[in-house]
Amino acid sequence: MKNVRILVVIMVILLLSNAMTFAAENDLKITEKVKIALIIPSTIDDLAWSQVMYEGIEAVQKKYGEDKIEIEVSERLWNAVDAGSAIRQYASQGFDIVIAHGAQYQSVLDEIAPDFPKTSFAYGTGFATHHPNIFAYDPQAQQGAYLLGIMAGLKTKTNIVGIVGPVKSGDAIKYNIGFEKGVKSVNPKAAVRIAYTGGFGDFVAAGEIARTHIKAGADVLSGTAQQSVGAIKVASEFEGILWLSSDMDQCSIAPQTVLASQSYRFDEVIEKIISFRQEGIVGGKHLELTLENGFLEIVYNPKLVSVLTPEMNKVLNEAKTKIISGEIKVELK
Amino acid sequence: MILDFIIGIISAGIPLAAPLLLAGLGEMFNQRAGVFNLGVEGIMLMGAFVGFLVVLTVGSPILGLLAAIAVGALMGLLMAVVTVKFKAQQGISGIGLFMLGWGLSGTLFRVYIGGITSITGIKPFSFPLLGKIPIIGEIFFQNNILVYIAFLLVPISWYVLNKTAWGLKVRAVGTNPQAADTLGIKVERIRFQCIILGSMMAGLAGAYLSIAQTHIFADNITAGRGFIAVALVYFGRWKPAGIMWGTLLFSLAHALQRSIQVYGINFPYEIAVIIPYLLVIVVLALSYKSQLLGPVALGKPFIRGSRE
Repeated sequence: MKNVRILVVIMVILLLSNAMTFAAENDLKITEKVKIALIIPSTIDDLAWSQVMYEGIEAVQKKYGEDKIEIEVSERLWNAVDAGSAIRQYASQGFDIVIAHGAQYQSVLDEIAPDFPKTSFAYGTGFATHHPNIFAYDPQAQQGAYLLGIMAGLKTKTNIVGIVGPVKSGDAIKYNIGFEKGVKSVNPKAAVRIAYTGGFGDFVAAGEIARTHIKAGADVLSGTAQQSVGAIKVASEFEGILWLSSDMDQCSIAPQTVLASQSYRFDEVIEKIISFRQEGIVGGKHLELTLENGFLEIVYNPKLVSVLTPEMNKVLNEAKTKIISGEIKVELK
Repeated sequence: MILDFIIGIISAGIPLAAPLLLAGLGEMFNQRAGVFNLGVEGIMLMGAFVGFLVVLTVGSPILGLLAAIAVGALMGLLMAVVTVKFKAQQGISGIGLFMLGWGLSGTLFRVYIGGITSITGIKPFSFPLLGKIPIIGEIFFQNNILVYIAFLLVPISWYVLNKTAWGLKVRAVGTNPQAADTLGIKVERIRFQCIILGSMMAGLAGAYLSIAQTHIFADNITAGRGFIAVALVYFGRWKPAGIMWGTLLFSLAHALQRSIQVYGINFPYEIAVIIPYLLVIVVLALSYKSQLLGPVALGKPFIRGSRE
């Protein structure tokens, strides 16, 4: 009996030490304060693209403490020229990492980065890093979109699925292609209708597109950009309509309508950048957010998740496993 | 199918014309008195925010609308003081007012609400019997109350402008303020009244978007509609009916381009989204010969004793 007790104690100690080692491997050792500046096109509470990045940095600050991570934010700088002066100012003030959160900032960073070789600049969605101190982060939106598309294809009764798009470029086009392929993979008969507003921040127009989709027969909708909040709100005014979100968990907007969301783990991206800097690498890396590396995940609405039957979940899990293993490649063609 | 398509466009287009119509009719009054107010967008944003906040906290849409009108009046008073009393350049003052409204609404939103949340607000209602008439019922009798108010304001505005003594003074002040002054009309007072009235309607137009249309408030929810409303005043030749046709044309064109995209009609979306703007420009260009002159004194500050 005594031997058994000793064995249990040893097992517990081993388990704890393993857990601690695991935690230590995943955590960074930050000795000097890391100053991070964030430039965003909308606001930190847009419930979409800008907020998810802000919350990612905030999560890193929470993890390591305010004495280790400092955050400064400049909002509403959708205009890349205006953003340029803010980016230069932050770099001049000695910020270690300056994140310009949008594809539109790439050329501005290309101009500014050579003047501040010790500062790391980051932007996304993008892949090109023209200078050794620029990181490009790149959510593979088509991967999560494919899974959300499967949900749409399985749940639609009218066989009409609608997408409320911002503009036909960047993340949105990746998302739309992935989503449509996901729908068709399980329901080839379903029609995927896409309509764009022509911008990112017109909540009223997004709402009107959602309304037009629903009146034209769509019963499952999806969309990207901060304006999708307007579309979700309109969708929630109709009975039996489901919405599938991107960028971040949007269940709180309409708990009876938003079934699931593709969420970007920008906290992981930030930690990755900090860890590169600790290795002396200040940029030049293309950082992908994928289902494989866990930087991209699907978040389900606990109030609605029961609408997915075990068979549907099986299909979803299989598809996710295949995407992670590379058996399914969601091509952008 | 085609009938559904057409009904869908008209029934979607009419409610969307309402905020443009409210803001446009208001702008018409201050332009007829000789002052153009480019701050409509900022006033709409403040109206949208304050109206939303009141509905969220008190629960009464009527109080929300009244609060939006009141904040519109305050912003109009500011515009009037700056442009009429201090004779500041109207265009720049308007842009300043827009930026003030945009910044203030976003900041107050963060301080007092903190994130996107929704309200019940004003919902569309169906008129008894009339709402059930096929086609016509869906198009004309299933809207929210503000849509009817907006369209009712068209004949009322026409009557006030053309058939009342006050309307005559407004037109006189906008056409020849010096002559109006010699007749004993208080030019500055009339301009104050018109700017405040126009701004109250802009506040109401903003509240329409947050309380009756989307039931949320978000930063920059107006997305340029205030500027469109100002442009539509020029389109409508400073006449209530003209402005109404302009807002309808613009909104129906928007509803058309959305339907073209949604129904998958093979048409480049980049072209589709600019159809409403193209259409307005084309109509403006084609109607050039028939245009009436705008208020002669538009944009000019009134200085007693000067020749201008």
